[in-house]
Amino acid sequence: MPIKNLIFLFLICVPFLTNAQGFQVNFQGQKQQAMGCAGTALYKDGASLFFNPGSVALSNENSINLATTPIIANVLYTDAASNTSFRTKNPVGTPFSAYGVFHLKKLEQLKFGLAAYTPFGSTVVWEDNWIGRFALTRLKLQAIFIQPTLSYRITPKLGIGAGLVIGLGDVELEKDIPVQDSTGTFAHAKLSGKARSVGYNIGIHYDITDQVSVGLNYRSKVQMNLNEGLADFTVPGALATNFPDQKFTGSLPLPAVATFGIAYKPNSKINAVLDINYVGWSAYDTLGFDYENNTSSLADTKSPRNYKDIVAFRTGMSYKVIEKLELRIGGGFGFSPVPESSVTPETPDANRGYFTLGAGYEFNKHFSIDVSLYYTQLKRTATNGETNLSGTFRTKAIAPGFGLIYKI
Amino acid sequence: MKNISILIFAVVLFLSSCKPAIEDPNYSKGEINPDRFLMIGGGHSAGYMDDALYNEGQLNSVANLIADQLKLVGLQQFNQPLVNPSSVGVGLTGLSAMYLNYKTDCKGVSSLSPVRIASSGDQSVFSDNLYSTTVPLGNYGIPGLKLMDVNSQNYATSNAFFARMASSLTTSVSSDATATNPTFFATFLGFEDVLEFAKSGGIQSLPDPADFQAEYTTLIQNLIANGAKGVIGIIPDVTEMPYFTTIPWNGLNLDSANNTTLNSVYNPIGYFFNLGANPFMIEDTSANIFGIRQILSSELLLLGLPLDSVKCYQMGVLFPLRDEFVLDNNEIAELRNKIEQYNAAIRSIANQYNLAVAETGAFVSNLKTGFIYNGVTVSAKFVSGGAYSLDGLHFNPRGNALLANEFIRAINNKYNSNIPELNAGAYRSILFPN
Repeated sequence: MPIKNLIFLFLICVPFLTNAQGFQVNFQGQKQQAMGCAGTALYKDGASLFFNPGSVALSNENSINLATTPIIANVLYTDAASNTSFRTKNPVGTPFSAYGVFHLKKLEQLKFGLAAYTPFGSTVVWEDNWIGRFALTRLKLQAIFIQPTLSYRITPKLGIGAGLVIGLGDVELEKDIPVQDSTGTFAHAKLSGKARSVGYNIGIHYDITDQVSVGLNYRSKVQMNLNEGLADFTVPGALATNFPDQKFTGSLPLPAVATFGIAYKPNSKINAVLDINYVGWSAYDTLGFDYENNTSSLADTKSPRNYKDIVAFRTGMSYKVIEKLELRIGGGFGFSPVPESSVTPETPDANRGYFTLGAGYEFNKHFSIDVSLYYTQLKRTATNGETNLSGTFRTKAIAPGFGLIYKI
Repeated sequence: MKNISILIFAVVLFLSSCKPAIEDPNYSKGEINPDRFLMIGGGHSAGYMDDALYNEGQLNSVANLIADQLKLVGLQQFNQPLVNPSSVGVGLTGLSAMYLNYKTDCKGVSSLSPVRIASSGDQSVFSDNLYSTTVPLGNYGIPGLKLMDVNSQNYATSNAFFARMASSLTTSVSSDATATNPTFFATFLGFEDVLEFAKSGGIQSLPDPADFQAEYTTLIQNLIANGAKGVIGIIPDVTEMPYFTTIPWNGLNLDSANNTTLNSVYNPIGYFFNLGANPFMIEDTSANIFGIRQILSSELLLLGLPLDSVKCYQMGVLFPLRDEFVLDNNEIAELRNKIEQYNAAIRSIANQYNLAVAETGAFVSNLKTGFIYNGVTVSAKFVSGGAYSLDGLHFNPRGNALLANEFIRAINNKYNSNIPELNAGAYRSILFPN
């Protein structure tokens, strides 16, 4: 029984894999989100703990940054043969992020940071009786990543930093099984489990001139392992022995991301940034599920994924209208890592462009707020090699974000 | 405040519009006129399934499912000779429909089996008189209708399923169907002709291919007389269906004692047995003076085999299986050869009269291999394959939807139409007891 993707995207600002379903677009900082999700070479706020721990070293603030970005994402699937269409009815996702950076007065060049953020925190639910119900009916991903970080300013222009990423995730995946009871109700499988993972996030930041800076960041691959997953089957009584409730294990590699960033500050009002990501999606070649008790109806699965490494470009700029008000704009483009035969209802991914907007306002030297807006739409026509689902996924996602910063 | 209200309103409007829109499907009828659709065929067209004609099956008949899609390009109405929804149905042998439930065999073992819904079929079905000139029927799918009978006068006297919908006892299917003046038709004929031979274990005869072609040509000429276009289904290889593939040739499992007994009985005439799986013994007058031999791995056993007799009363062992339960290699070869010739005739007729050909034979072959449809594995495996009904010869609603899609694809290919296929996964398969 092919069971699909569990966990996805991770640690990438706006996954070019909005792996759907989730739309666990990773929104990691309101200022950066508003500027095309770029910021590897520019310290804007504590969200640099995510974008480049090396940048953090060049800041001289102690701050706390809290933000949330509700995600409204809708997918429409149109089956090629029958031209029937089905929609997701996803609840609004509410990812949050929290960053704290601080230093000791006696040791200004060493910064401590603690980041906590939700790389997914969203749910995809397809409408009842949809045509792909045997691939997926519901996928809920909830994860909190905690990243304690140290950054060190080697010279006034050069900073390095490293963080340990600890991922704690809950996963629930549901799908129907194509056997029916006497009332015609399809059997159902619910797989749930907790994933634990560890990775790291390192970066270096260098101010070439007062106007131009560069950054390099590497976020490691993280293997998300579900070791104690529970498979719960609701099947007609006559088939109960074929589908015993039981434990399973599964694993998903979340790819490494290497980013080169450049920032340009022509004057005190304007910031411009460009990030280029290289994402090691080829680590995701197979999705396997290993059931403790196999039966004639329930075999272990190995679903080919064969993702490709991809490149994504993100750019944006900010403009200070007045001292207290900054406006931001940006956008990006990423290639899809998902080959046609691996397009699934969890990942109706496509090459994607997106567009962002935002603003920030400083009330005083302690308090400031930031807002952002992200919009993307995708279209992918594909035939899945495993389920033969053949049709077109159309996706629209919009995410308005809001953040508060308190500087001590 | 006013500005903020406007802003919030604008944001809400923007967010609520954030749903992908459904594109216009652009359905089109192409070169066909779907106003009056008619289908002529046997059990599959009629909606016969689970070895009976009953209401739910008819609603999911191949003919009705094709009509459902034709309604998207202009067909207004499609009438079927429906059985009462509360009826237990009635089959070609007079029995009721079957469902899947537990059945205890002669050894006291309870297992899932096809079981009749009622102890007898609903004979009242045959007292219906559904013929109407004002509401003409579109489904001339008639259980048991052979191509060789489609033009026969007095057919209602020999097929009670036709009698309940015929204009008179003397009429033929062909003339009643033609009288509805169809503008578009589908035919799926010939299957019942080969089924009769196959189900009898090769005892009944098969029609002469030249006669077959002549009868089919007559029918088609009648149907196209007023300019109707149509689609013709290819005859599937019936031996690829579960009725013929479910009982294994080597299903004779021997323990040590029986193995010894059988070897002592059969070794003198040259047949040997081993512990475990063994071929059944069958009757074959040409085999030797005893007229018995072991079945070969390429030969087929029919699902009509009385399994209790096999399990408990030495049928297929000390009492060889009678010819009526076996398709031997010669019979299979003859059957396949004839099907090939009939299909050649069908293709030639389609070509001659410029009709679409539905690749229903390839569909049945693909089922034998099995394929995955929108995440559902379908195959010709009995019960668990999910396409065939419990009689092993006719499809369940999902299988009928898949078969109807073959017709729709053929129509689209031939007539430049854009008629959507059915979402077959939305139709029920076998129902398992809770």
